[in-house]
Amino acid sequence: MILYDYVLSARCYKVRLMAALLGAPLTLQAVNFHPGREHKSPEMLVLNPNGTLPILKDGDTVLTDSADILRHLTSDHPEWRSADDDTWLAFASNLNDSLGLARLHDVIGYAADIDTARTAGVTALRKLEAHLTEQRFDDLIFLTGKAPTIADIACFPNTALAPDGGVSLDPYPSVRLWMRAIRSLPGFIEMPGIHRLHELAHPA
Amino acid sequence: MNWIAVGLAKDVPPGVVIPSRIEDTEMAIWCTPSGRYHAWSDRCPHRGMRLSHGFVRGETLACIYHGWQYNQTGSCDYIPAHPKLTPPDTICVPTYTCVEEGGVIWVSLNSVDDPLPVLGARVPVRSVPVSLSAKDVAAHFGAAGFTTIAVVSDYDTLLAVQPCTDTMCVLHVLAAPDADRKEVSRWVEDLRTTLEGVPA
Repeated sequence: MILYDYVLSARCYKVRLMAALLGAPLTLQAVNFHPGREHKSPEMLVLNPNGTLPILKDGDTVLTDSADILRHLTSDHPEWRSADDDTWLAFASNLNDSLGLARLHDVIGYAADIDTARTAGVTALRKLEAHLTEQRFDDLIFLTGKAPTIADIACFPNTALAPDGGVSLDPYPSVRLWMRAIRSLPGFIEMPGIHRLHELAHPA
Repeated sequence: MNWIAVGLAKDVPPGVVIPSRIEDTEMAIWCTPSGRYHAWSDRCPHRGMRLSHGFVRGETLACIYHGWQYNQTGSCDYIPAHPKLTPPDTICVPTYTCVEEGGVIWVSLNSVDDPLPVLGARVPVRSVPVSLSAKDVAAHFGAAGFTTIAVVSDYDTLLAVQPCTDTMCVLHVLAAPDADRKEVSRWVEDLRTTLEGVPA
């Protein structure tokens, strides 16, 4: 499988993270998204007429929607799926269009109504916090249950990167514990702005 | 202003550090593996990094930047780049009085001996940020102070109010032990909508 990838893209990171958690080998093909706009080049538009990233090429299959890619990667992994995933994959789009847009505005100068994007981001974070709080009342830490699914992987990156777009995560304890649970998963990988848990030994 | 709630114990389990603030005082709130809570100035004395980005390692808090480790009194006792050095006592983090009582983490910036707020039999439910100052929230309920405000509801609710900025406070919500926590959680969401909808 080849992932046409941009290291700072939250949506590309979803794919890299999912593959890493599954232990699925992924060949990364770096695309100069910024400042090169290589994703809009003629060669890339042949692969994806929409001119977006990520693009996953698996044999003859080409997928360009991160939710579709998560479903594809986990097609033989029912443990990473739940009946409620679709709701949260849609919510992940909402996060991308609010927190994700605010981040692209701040980090690489995307045109955006920044106040509107941040306000929508806070509204989304409040919904996420309310849901995760109710999950915790039932002793569940992930979005759809006791175990993580593609719902969590889809929602995690733009949430964790919210501070890059000027939206604080400080007042959301359930979101924080949820992110900590994801960062604790075996095989978890980082991206710039999302660090792993440092469980280094205390000096003797 | 004496005891101020800065979080709920269940939201800061052992081994976790979080950022918090009381007005202009930024703090790292953390819990040791043995369950002791600490509230420290949120700046590493070395390079000023927020300690709340750091990690609890054993009974110490380590800065994420260069790994300097601070023991429970706030003194630096290990610098990874100089493993044989015993750091001087002058390298220490300002600490604040911090106790956990009734499932709530309380901080006193002026270290008074005042008794803690009375919670009755109530138990913590959740913490909710509100885009209003603590004074505006207190005024809404006609309360004189804002440390704790009892609010009439079906759940015997009590709000422990944490003043953060002119446009933000956090409500730490407690309720009767037999109250349905999901109902209380939705009640406080509605309360926030009401509070934020009232013109200043």
